[in-house]
Amino acid sequence: MSQFVASIGFGLVTASILALAAVGFTLQFGVTNVLNLAYGGVMTATAFIAYLVAHAGAGLAATLAAGALFGAAASAALNRAVFSPFIRRGTGVFGMIVVAISVSVMIDNGLLSFIGPSFFSLPFSQGRSFYLGAMVFTSTELIIIGLSVVAMLALHALLRYTRIGKAMRATAADAVLARGCGVATGRVIDLGWLISGALCGLAGVTLVLNLATFDTTTGTEFLVPIIAAAVLGGVGQPYGAMLGALIVGLASQVSTVFIQPEYNTAVAFVILIIVLLVRPTGILSEIAASRELAA
Amino acid sequence: MSIGVQFYLTTILVYIGVDIIACLGLNLQFGVAGIINFAFIAFQAIGAYAAAALALGPPFPGDFQHYVGFGPLPFPLPILVAGVAGGVASLVVGVVCLRRLRSDYQAMVFLVVSLIATTVATNTSLVGGAAGLSTVPKPLYSGLGLTLVGYQWFFAALTGAFTLCVWLAVRRITNSPLGRALRAVRDNEDTAQAVGKNVQAMRLSAFVIGGVIAAISGAILVLFISAWAPSGWLYPETFVYFTAVIVGGSGNNLGAAAGAMLVPVLFLEGARFLPTLVNPTFIDGMQWVAIGALSLAFLWFRPAGIFPERARGPLTDKHGGQIERVRAMLVKAR
Repeated sequence: MSQFVASIGFGLVTASILALAAVGFTLQFGVTNVLNLAYGGVMTATAFIAYLVAHAGAGLAATLAAGALFGAAASAALNRAVFSPFIRRGTGVFGMIVVAISVSVMIDNGLLSFIGPSFFSLPFSQGRSFYLGAMVFTSTELIIIGLSVVAMLALHALLRYTRIGKAMRATAADAVLARGCGVATGRVIDLGWLISGALCGLAGVTLVLNLATFDTTTGTEFLVPIIAAAVLGGVGQPYGAMLGALIVGLASQVSTVFIQPEYNTAVAFVILIIVLLVRPTGILSEIAASRELAA
Repeated sequence: MSIGVQFYLTTILVYIGVDIIACLGLNLQFGVAGIINFAFIAFQAIGAYAAAALALGPPFPGDFQHYVGFGPLPFPLPILVAGVAGGVASLVVGVVCLRRLRSDYQAMVFLVVSLIATTVATNTSLVGGAAGLSTVPKPLYSGLGLTLVGYQWFFAALTGAFTLCVWLAVRRITNSPLGRALRAVRDNEDTAQAVGKNVQAMRLSAFVIGGVIAAISGAILVLFISAWAPSGWLYPETFVYFTAVIVGGSGNNLGAAAGAMLVPVLFLEGARFLPTLVNPTFIDGMQWVAIGALSLAFLWFRPAGIFPERARGPLTDKHGGQIERVRAMLVKAR
């Protein structure tokens, strides 16, 4: 029983990282209509930027900030340099996914070329442990959970209460109609890449902060649970992705009480299969329905 | 020719044959039926593992590799049963993943399938775990009594025969009413459905046939190289075949075959002759970056590929003029 409760603690940490990643991924799709398979690659690149910054003597807060900035800049640049020109040229949904995987393969292997297959780790200690019943959290883990909660609340405030948030939601729901109503959708899409990129960057840093070591494949390997969480919540739905992240994160850790830890990712897969069979549009599915993602 | 050159040449020939078979299978799924199967390499792997396990027979007591095996079966059977295994696996995956999902969403799901297949193969002893299977016996090797290099030529000829069979079978399918209907589904699903085509069933059949072909390509390759492991079929390998089909001309069998000769062989072989820079993984990584850039370049400058798909339509057949006149009348009436 105590093992079970302890695994919920680990699950909360995984879910927090996953929430940052999945919400960024899903927001990118919702606002920009691009399923960005290079998302994991950008996370890995951010992790290496964090590694450089941290080893140059920056503290944890500065490292996280640098990660968020780099993630935002890299994502926006990726859109300006690759995705947006291809869309303007008339490449359809069918071609865009091949463009996305091309970019993903290029980022992963570009990193491999220059960094090599070695393992790295961030120079931060996990700090002292806090006990909460049978759950144990290190101070780093508490920072991750806190950061994730704050980021989710900030995103909620942005989407609900600001003009720009409303413009983003309008663009996600129907870009053509939004443009007709005077929303500058081009700028909103740029902003969508910046915000989702910042989340991607934070996810990349927190992911490797929580891992003992990482290498050039770490981000892309994390793509399975990200996709599972996003699909479970309904692709394009930030709130759905938060819920999806919580479910996938908890399930993947709690399951280790019953099955071998290697099958961690298989749990995400099983969730994905069940969602596809039962409700391919996910739990919250307004956008999926309007985009004709699944019928 | 020196023995070394002959070895190199025959090896390249076998790889070309295997890549052509694989690209024809992928082209049927991607170019003709419009299914973005990012898990294609996993079906090649299923064929390879099946053929390897059947050629090896069950592991003997104290065997260094752990796997599930039957047999051993005599020569053509491992390849044929591997094809069946690929078909069955495609059927199962297809039923789950080929529901009416938008194509990019579907592609993402297939990508996950590929990642999970790798995880399962690596972490279970079903097919030898991370080390994979090795010491797979070469078919007919002892029976033929050929020299080593003679056997290489024999295998190259065998691969050529399989490639020809697959080419003829695929051409028959793409020229058949099924091929025509598949292209209709790809170009406009709603219209195809409106004229009474069973879209789901047709997609599934193209997916399963493609899976059988993928498995056969893997089976031939594993019998030639005698070993197969998860590190050899990670998801980017699928991307090489995608690039090949796009560069050659998706939807066109000739294009797929040409792409198979250009991309995996020229590109991946060419890098062998480059010097080692920066670190040992530099060339390896840059090769992939170059393949990505090649795919982006073709999607930008020449999305139809080197050999574009032949335009087929009512206007090119002998009733074309008549149909055009009827259409003009209808337009005027409106």
